[in-house]
Amino acid sequence: MTHWSEATRERARQIMSRYPEKRSALMPLLYLAMAEDGYLTEAGMEEVAEWCGITPAQVQSVASFYTMYKREPTGRYLVSCCTSISCMLLGADDVLHAVEDESGVPHGETDGEGLISVEHVECLGACGGAPAVQVNYELIEGVTPAKGRELVNWLKRARPEVVNGDEMQSLFGGRRSFEWAIAEEDGAIGPYPAFQPLGTMAREPGK
Amino acid sequence: MTTETNLVNITINGVEHRVPEGELVIRAAQDSGTYIPRFCWHERMEPVGMCRMCLVQVETPRGPMIVTACTNQVADGMAVDTENAEVKKAQEAVLEFLLANHPLDCPVCDKGGECPLQDQALAYGPGESRFVEIKRHFEKPIPLSDLVLLDRERCVLCARCTRFSEEISGDPLIEFMDRANTTEVNTFPDHPFASYFSGNTVQLCPVGALLAKPYRFRARPWDLTRVESSGLYDTAHPRVEIHASQNEVLRLVGVDNDATNHGWLSDKDRWGHEYLQSEHRLTSPLLRRDGELVEVSWPEALDIVASRLQLVLEEDGGESVAVIGGANGTNEDAYALSRFAREVLGTPHVDARMDDGLSAPFLAATVDRALISDLDEADTILVWGPDLKEEHPTLYLRVRRAAQQLGKKLVVVHPRATGLDDRAAIKLTYRPGGGFALLEEIGDGTHPEVTAALSAQGVVAVVGMASVADGPRLAESVAAMVRRTAGSARILPLHHRSNVFGALDMGLAPDLGPGRVAADRPGKDTRQIMEALSEGTLRALLLVGADPRRDMPDARVAEDGLYGAEYVVSIDLFLHDSNRDADVVLPAAGFAEKEGTVTNVEGRVQKVNRIRPAPGAARPDWSIIEDIAGHLGRSLGLSSAETIAKEIAENLPLYDGVTHDFLEWEARDGVVVPRNGRQALEHIPVGLEGPQAPGAQLTLHRARTLYDDGVRLRHCRSLHSLAPGAVAKLNPADAPGLGVNEGSAVMVTTSQGEGEFTAVLDPSTPPGVVYVPMNQVGAASLGTDPVVRVKVVN
Amino acid sequence: MSVAPVVTRRMTEHPADSHGIERYEATGGYVQAKRAIGLTRDDIVEEVKASGLLGRGGAAFSAGLKWSFLAPERPAYLVVNADESEPGTFKDRQLLERDPHQLIEGIIITAFANEVHHAFVYVRGEYAKPARRVQRAVDEAYERGYLGAEIFGSGYDLDVTVHLGAGAYICGEETALINSLEGLRGEPRLKPPYFPAAKGLYMKPTIVNNVETLSNLPHILAMGAAKYSGLTDSEDTGTFMMSLSGHVEKPGNYELAHGITWRDLIYDVGGGIRGGNGLKAWIPGGASAPWFVPEQHLDLPITKEAAAAAGSMLGSGAVIVMDEDTCMVRAAERVVRFFSDESCGQCTPCREGTTWMEMVLGRLESGLGRSVDLDLLIDVSDGISIGLAWPPKMTTICPLGPSAVSPIIALRDYFRDEVEEHVARGGCWFPGAVVSGGATPQTPRSLHVASAVGEGRSPDQVAIEGDRT
Repeated sequence: MTHWSEATRERARQIMSRYPEKRSALMPLLYLAMAEDGYLTEAGMEEVAEWCGITPAQVQSVASFYTMYKREPTGRYLVSCCTSISCMLLGADDVLHAVEDESGVPHGETDGEGLISVEHVECLGACGGAPAVQVNYELIEGVTPAKGRELVNWLKRARPEVVNGDEMQSLFGGRRSFEWAIAEEDGAIGPYPAFQPLGTMAREPGK
Repeated sequence: MTTETNLVNITINGVEHRVPEGELVIRAAQDSGTYIPRFCWHERMEPVGMCRMCLVQVETPRGPMIVTACTNQVADGMAVDTENAEVKKAQEAVLEFLLANHPLDCPVCDKGGECPLQDQALAYGPGESRFVEIKRHFEKPIPLSDLVLLDRERCVLCARCTRFSEEISGDPLIEFMDRANTTEVNTFPDHPFASYFSGNTVQLCPVGALLAKPYRFRARPWDLTRVESSGLYDTAHPRVEIHASQNEVLRLVGVDNDATNHGWLSDKDRWGHEYLQSEHRLTSPLLRRDGELVEVSWPEALDIVASRLQLVLEEDGGESVAVIGGANGTNEDAYALSRFAREVLGTPHVDARMDDGLSAPFLAATVDRALISDLDEADTILVWGPDLKEEHPTLYLRVRRAAQQLGKKLVVVHPRATGLDDRAAIKLTYRPGGGFALLEEIGDGTHPEVTAALSAQGVVAVVGMASVADGPRLAESVAAMVRRTAGSARILPLHHRSNVFGALDMGLAPDLGPGRVAADRPGKDTRQIMEALSEGTLRALLLVGADPRRDMPDARVAEDGLYGAEYVVSIDLFLHDSNRDADVVLPAAGFAEKEGTVTNVEGRVQKVNRIRPAPGAARPDWSIIEDIAGHLGRSLGLSSAETIAKEIAENLPLYDGVTHDFLEWEARDGVVVPRNGRQALEHIPVGLEGPQAPGAQLTLHRARTLYDDGVRLRHCRSLHSLAPGAVAKLNPADAPGLGVNEGSAVMVTTSQGEGEFTAVLDPSTPPGVVYVPMNQVGAASLGTDPVVRVKVVN
Repeated sequence: MSVAPVVTRRMTEHPADSHGIERYEATGGYVQAKRAIGLTRDDIVEEVKASGLLGRGGAAFSAGLKWSFLAPERPAYLVVNADESEPGTFKDRQLLERDPHQLIEGIIITAFANEVHHAFVYVRGEYAKPARRVQRAVDEAYERGYLGAEIFGSGYDLDVTVHLGAGAYICGEETALINSLEGLRGEPRLKPPYFPAAKGLYMKPTIVNNVETLSNLPHILAMGAAKYSGLTDSEDTGTFMMSLSGHVEKPGNYELAHGITWRDLIYDVGGGIRGGNGLKAWIPGGASAPWFVPEQHLDLPITKEAAAAAGSMLGSGAVIVMDEDTCMVRAAERVVRFFSDESCGQCTPCREGTTWMEMVLGRLESGLGRSVDLDLLIDVSDGISIGLAWPPKMTTICPLGPSAVSPIIALRDYFRDEVEEHVARGGCWFPGAVVSGGATPQTPRSLHVASAVGEGRSPDQVAIEGDRT
């Protein structure tokens, strides 16, 4: 009954081999399901339930506990604006409002085209570079309301295949929590974290 | 069971108590007379410490600490304070928090009046809410299944229901969803809470969040009259309390006892009482006149029955009359019937089984019979028999608990998947009809892991007919094998229908006499009776609460017998396929309409009680039988269930001292007979020869399901529609070869029957096996032959 | 005041490639791990105990002692807590991104010392880049035979799995993290009976250590316990990382020695308050910590004991500085909202209490406050943390709920006037105030109060039995 591709199933087998017990693979498999369908569908949760040997209700119980498993259709670019205390002190609410205004998407929602979703999130661990914004979990620090608007317009216009944190930081960022001199070419390909074991990076490292 | 426990000294609110070491504070306090309020804690489930209502103060080396009484164990010298200012503050705070978002719609809530949240708000609450914000809102109530509704606004998130479904019943279909302040209990979309045990969550719910559809808005708790009794579907006879209003039984709730059900009930036992109030109940004797059954008075009916029986007796003697039934009534009913058959009719042809049971001596008198509680002490538990989840729900829960909570090694042998497989250390399947071949393999050492498991010191073997093709001999052979391999074996043979054991003990078997002794003069069993009726060597038949046409695995035998019978009298609650053509049908009282005793699958005798009158002129079986005997001029001298029980206690050493008074005042949870452990007949299971495995490509697995088209269930509107219906389940791998798709109409044919079924592709049925649930609406009987053909109907 | 950096030294000296295995090995990397495998397990545990290394995840418990509690049953597991999510904290991210091999070497030492053969690095889901860096480093270590079967040619096997979280602060709590790693909801477990040292991952003995804690281990072995503990005069040994954020001129991570004062940190290290503004308050140890104010706390030394004596903690090492233009009600609301959003929902007081507090604070900020509200907040807090004592007397399984009352204690002790003025003025007057609907984007709350105001009554006229609508 699977709707997963053989490549995805092979990836799932690799993930499961990393854990002593199969239910431990639940969280990475949920990301895999999101990558397969663009968000976490009911069919995706049923698939994961079979892999882990539990009921779909048990899968949904876990999936719904964590904010990053999106169970509604989510835009190609998920813009997450931190509004926790350190970012708030430096104007994060204005950044969020600017992003909402420019995209026309209130937080928690997705535009009609399925391009941009906006959310406000709790602390992203970028407090030294507040306010912080992530696009598909790639970080931009020191964002102003004006830069937030530019970011939205760029996403709409450029529609990058791969969302790269260094590139966005140089275009729309400001002060960072700490300096980082290594440029990364890889980045995120959808509204889920880019991570090699999940197969959600643009390319395999070293290739 | 009691084990040596060390006692320790603790103080509760300054008063010293000696309590078992390691006991949870909440239980130690309760047993010492101090009630600590709680919502999430439940004695039969693992503590989760979530509601925080049971906060108390204990002195620790680091000073006084506020802790939950449900998650901390007592230790010697512990000082517990359950009522000081800090504790009171904490308890009031928890209640205020719980009530903050509670809708307070108590006037329209089923739980109102028996609600722990109401009660504890009264006893421990702050008395007013300071919450002026907007309450949490959810759609009210949503169906979780066909039987259970959920009002999430009332829910206090105690996780009793979710823990029950995961820890106890093993079908985690309801779960906490989301988190923080928006946490809710729910199902996965389109995966309803279709658990056979869902009603327990309603009973467990400490608020009115989980609601029983059959009971919703039916009564206020203070208007209910209550009586304790034993459930009468489940062979373990779970302890229940019957709640009725204005002579109408409205619900059953489970009563916690160690011996059997731990307070749990299957939904069938919980809601299967609806037939009592069915408009189709028989309320008057029916007599066949001009081909029609017409209502007549009791005297008229009894006169006719007596005179017709008298005629047969005079012409051909008692041996020309047979009695089938008695397994759904009380021991008193069965005793009356047994005496009637032997003393009044003078016939040895009596049987409470429906040609679907193990041998009567094995069922009733096997040596080293296991008690249900022996499951908790076993090293290995072997279940080779029916899917307990379908046929023996209380045993299912107890075996599950033993394997899951107590870590017992579980071996399950069954032709297809069963509800216990996820907890089984070893699971073997066999093709229906191939049980003896598998047994031989095990004996040969082909399955060393099974051999090892069955060679443990303490083995409890739960054995029965897994499939009608097993026949009556496989289970006994399995028992014989386990007795050879295990250090110490205990055997629990299973039967169908609730009070078979009681009926056998009263002598309703061709080879047993009253009191678990061998019959003086062996008679015919149900199959032989039917064959003899068909051949004309038997003339008359008395059916008591029996529907052989539906219940015998080979319906043709029953049909032929009933057709051939010259005279048929039926005592029953309803008209059904087996008595529709009877000469006389006499209306009987049902469960909750009569007093008496019953004997469960382990030999435990318990009391059942009356809470409503029988409808119309319906009467208890024993009294109908007494009147027929009286009209035959051979009164049995039976005047009440209580005096019959006294007579049983006096006449049968097996039931020595087991009177109603004894059960009501001294042994509320019943007593296993014989009380002194000695019985006259001790049957030693023997290894028997069995059929060779059929070489057929497809074999037929016929087995019972919890919900079916049985006479009583047919008249329970909440449950009857939950039966699987006329389906034939096939492994998806077999489908292409047969040209079958999901939902295809297929003709299923054996040497003994044929009928049309809806095909269901089911991975839990192994390849090469066709699984057809027995006794379903519109389903033909297919007999016991495992060789089967399946053809798509165009 | 300043010390030579220890865990941040490599990244400071070699900013271009401190994350790669070549640089790591060229700067003494993996020497200690190789050496450790030649030592006895007891020697390593004793050395770590003697170093006085305290856990850097927030609880500040002796790392060596924690190891010595590990139950003897095997298999045992090591779980690296890289679920850094406490608002204000971003030090582990730097260690993960910029020196992941230092962490892996700490993992090898810890795993070997405790007979562990499988370690998990639980990285919060939003840390995609740090997780990639760690995974890359793990891959490099496997390639060189430093992880996997028979590492360094010894008979010792060690596997490391990098596991990505998915957005739940509570998974930083060690038992919640273990649940999460088992594929369950990230709900903290009961202690007793589920102490990770005895019944942790898969009910087996488990060590849970923070990233910074483990990153210190190669250095403790390299310099020896005596030298490590002598890095500072304070009783709290070694260096520690502080994440400085908010209204300071120079926010960032700083590796410091214990014992400097808060004044040193904020005015020297942090370069003072933005625009020369006045300092109003700071949160000394992550959002969970009770707040400090300059009049009382500026000259206290930054040590575990001094913070505890003043009713707070150093926690995760995050310092959030607020200047005189900061509205304390809004700041409190934002901190409380965090805990309300991140509550796992198990315990009634936390699940219901934090949300209630967030609603009341939002109401005060948006002009729907009542004069009874501060006392109500204090009393609600009292129901989560009895007596508002320090350390808290928790009514909950884990400290998340009691953490949410820290801002309320600050309002009660230092900013009562400011709260009362919010009631009197009908809302907030600080820059950036958002009237109606609260400071945060959220659904309109407190309609009972709002409608009362609409009818011309004051919020105060909404009585306590206000839920009878």
